[in-house]
Amino acid sequence: MEKKIHPLVTKANQDLREGKISRRDFLRFSTLLGLTLAGAEMLAGCAPKEEAAIATEAVQATAAPVATEAPAGGIKRGGTLTCATRVERVDNPATFSLVSASHPWRHVVEYLTQTDPQGVTHPYLLESWKASVDLLTWTLVLRKGIKFSNGQELTADDVMFNFKQWLTESVQSSMFGAMSYLDLSGVEKTDDYTITLKLKTPSIFIPEHLAQYPAGIVPASFGGDLTKEPIGTGAFTMEEYVVGERCVLKARKDYWRNGADGKPLPYLDEIIMVQLGEDRAADLSAYQSGQVDTIIEPSVAIWEALKDDKDSTIVATPTAATRVLRMRADQEPWTKVEVSQALKHCHNREKILALALQGQGTLGNDSHVAQANPEFVDVAPYPFDTAKSKELLAAAGYPDGVTVELAVASDWPESMAYAQALKEDAAAGGFTINLKTMPASQYWEGWTDFNMGITWWSHRTLAPMILSVAYTANPDGTPVAWNESHWVDAEFNEILKQAEGTLDLEKRKELVGKLEVIQKERGTVCIPFFMSVWKIYKKTVHDVVADPQEYAIFYETWKDA
Amino acid sequence: MARYIVRRLLTMLLTMVLVSILVFAIVEIAPGNVARNILGAYATPEQEASMSRQLGLTRPVSIRYISWLFGSDWQARVEIGLPLIQTETTQGLVKNARQWWAFAPNGDLMQWDVDGGKLYKIVRLPDGKAERILDDDSWKVDENGQEYFWGIDRGNRAAKWVKGAKGTEYLLDYSGWVEETDAPVEYIPLGKGLLRGEAGISLRYQAPVSEVIGRRIFNSFILAALAILVSIPTAVALGLLAGLNEGKLIDRVISIGGLITAGSPDFATGILLIMIFALWLKVLPGAAVFTSADALWQTPSLLVLPVLTASLVEIGYILRITRSSVVEVMNSPYVRTAILKGLSYRQVVTRHVLRNAMMAPITVIMLHINWFIGGLVVVESVFGYPGLGNFILNAALYKDVYSIEAGAMILILLAVGTQLIADLVYSLINPRIRYS
Repeated sequence: MEKKIHPLVTKANQDLREGKISRRDFLRFSTLLGLTLAGAEMLAGCAPKEEAAIATEAVQATAAPVATEAPAGGIKRGGTLTCATRVERVDNPATFSLVSASHPWRHVVEYLTQTDPQGVTHPYLLESWKASVDLLTWTLVLRKGIKFSNGQELTADDVMFNFKQWLTESVQSSMFGAMSYLDLSGVEKTDDYTITLKLKTPSIFIPEHLAQYPAGIVPASFGGDLTKEPIGTGAFTMEEYVVGERCVLKARKDYWRNGADGKPLPYLDEIIMVQLGEDRAADLSAYQSGQVDTIIEPSVAIWEALKDDKDSTIVATPTAATRVLRMRADQEPWTKVEVSQALKHCHNREKILALALQGQGTLGNDSHVAQANPEFVDVAPYPFDTAKSKELLAAAGYPDGVTVELAVASDWPESMAYAQALKEDAAAGGFTINLKTMPASQYWEGWTDFNMGITWWSHRTLAPMILSVAYTANPDGTPVAWNESHWVDAEFNEILKQAEGTLDLEKRKELVGKLEVIQKERGTVCIPFFMSVWKIYKKTVHDVVADPQEYAIFYETWKDA
Repeated sequence: MARYIVRRLLTMLLTMVLVSILVFAIVEIAPGNVARNILGAYATPEQEASMSRQLGLTRPVSIRYISWLFGSDWQARVEIGLPLIQTETTQGLVKNARQWWAFAPNGDLMQWDVDGGKLYKIVRLPDGKAERILDDDSWKVDENGQEYFWGIDRGNRAAKWVKGAKGTEYLLDYSGWVEETDAPVEYIPLGKGLLRGEAGISLRYQAPVSEVIGRRIFNSFILAALAILVSIPTAVALGLLAGLNEGKLIDRVISIGGLITAGSPDFATGILLIMIFALWLKVLPGAAVFTSADALWQTPSLLVLPVLTASLVEIGYILRITRSSVVEVMNSPYVRTAILKGLSYRQVVTRHVLRNAMMAPITVIMLHINWFIGGLVVVESVFGYPGLGNFILNAALYKDVYSIEAGAMILILLAVGTQLIADLVYSLINPRIRYS
């Protein structure tokens, strides 16, 4: 346990005692500040509010990532796990822009930190981290003795190399936008196992950002193409990688973490991931006929087909993942805020959620903050009112309505259902929406260019994490790389910066609540729902980690013989 | 006959040439530019222009067409003045990564780069590594007194450097864009060309098209061959049986059965078969899960349902045509004559009916083989089978131009080839058809 406790932890502990924050939030934030979970537990234990379930799970996943307790029957080693997923073309992990690219590779490259299913972030390749009182200086301490698959030890030089990749704009890593509070010049190697980060603005999200899927740690010798140098600290080595078809991972003998049986992880001998065609049409029959053990990132249709299957374990998790209908704020007709507001009045949210996801999700209020984010404030969305929409359009100078073209990827059924429902409802509100459907691959090619489009956004643990990636501007006022709506709002930026440096959850909630209202009123995105996600796997498979981020993690997964 | 075959082969060649021009032109004028496609939305116009130069897209269309078919190494050889050689090395999971080198008279394999205005040569050592040596005396002088050098750069391109030319190129490096001020002024991307078995690098798979497509052709070939082997004999036998028993119960059963299988689309048949055999009876795999490259040999049962699905539609179709053809021949005067003159029923059927009745089905089968291979895309999709149809579909979705071109050429070659075979088979079974 840390000897010195961050003053903000004391403050948070106070809040916990006063019942202002939940135990879970206390654990989350105090661990973010470098308190080990055991320590946080001890402090929390003094508090009156008990959330036993969360606490026990959190203890099991103590600071050092140790495998969960062995079940009564004992863990069985060996075997092959076969998964249906996508096998994406990859090169540099820093530039991963799809979670699916990380599924196979996270078994080869590992992360400095890991966020568990409860949203608590733990050190992983790191032994610990520490933040200064003003949240401007962070010290990251690496675990010693971790070896890459090429035999080299992981040191601060490797981590420096990775920070350099993330923080160099030309690399175009999404980490660049996420870590906008940090410049490369602020990253310093203190000794072989210690790195100091000097932030431009206070932020508490460093540990969470280090667990994001583009933050896989590669050695300093990395040339830029994982398929040419598949080297990492992970428990598996990549043996075969055929884009769009298959990849094969084999267990390493000398992995650094031990399983519950005291021997090195992983339990599985082999993981095979297969992609069954571009539209993954055969996933369901492959699963049902027992050819694959799990379907990674299953669609709602697959969930529907399997929800009552007695041979499957299905774990549903509400997330902050969504499909964002975004309009280019710098293009007609969206330059007038009333037009976006009008469109928001054309959303029949319950209907859209029912059509798009069979009701499997939570409703949104057109701000990119979900109930699954701890900072969520319940801001009511605009009501479904097409008369009001017409009024707003007239006020914006479109008394006869407006015709717009909406780009939709036909591979995403939720997006298609959303687009069609909106097209019908918005007609009464003065919008003639022409759908421009295209394959997802083509959509990604121009996703920031379309005047109007529906984009897939993955889950982020904390609300400001996504807001800073997708709705902020560079210092020169131009939108950041992933700001697809090109919406730039000075006040929003300002409050977001404050939120990023605010630990006190009550205060942060207050700030995020303001952000929600600003985005709802002025933003050029419509977000009517957030999705639930599922892990679906055969009952013979054990210890699959449920995770709102939809990460597929099989380090501690095992199969009945 | 020989003359006929030669003539047909020549026509076939001419067709292929015209088609290749057409395919090239269609891909060429299709919207979307290759450079933009690779770079995505963020590249600046300068970066895009630079990438276009590096990809050789700024060269004249006719030269690009010729390079696509016949390669460009021989063009580069003229400029460089040394033979060019391609090596294959394994880098991590990337087997046979190809690299071009100039072959020096002393046996060295060489590439070049320019750094700080000075020319360096990179010599490949026997262990596969390379050594960089200053080679600043190799500059040549053109008629205007300008020093220049034609060599091979490190990205599989022949490149012309001009001494002192401060041309700026943007190279897409792993660490992002690199501004290179000692960049060459002219590029010829090296490749052997379609006809020599190299159809470019797939933009989607980042591997040679020939390698990816080869695997897919093989998978589709196995599927199609088995489906044809299953469906044609079955269909012909059933059609014959029905035709010879015209109007009887067996004819009715076969005809209606054929109508059903020919009438149900293959995706519906496929899903029905999956439900019956994979989900209810649990005797066959429901999807083509290739857990290794030679999955077809390890688990041949993977093929059963796809083959059956593909066959059923064909069986229905061919058997109906065979049946009506048999019925027609059975009612013809010469068959009646044969029966009346006392030939046994067996002799009438084998000698007269079968031969004559086969004309129509063969035409259909031959016309169908090509349609069939293209149509396999549906079956491939239903079962997640990694075949050629799926490959071409994805290539089109991803605007993977080199894959589209290669795929189209293969399908067309197949179409033209099967037509030729069909014509030759006709003349064999029907001596009345004479080609000259």
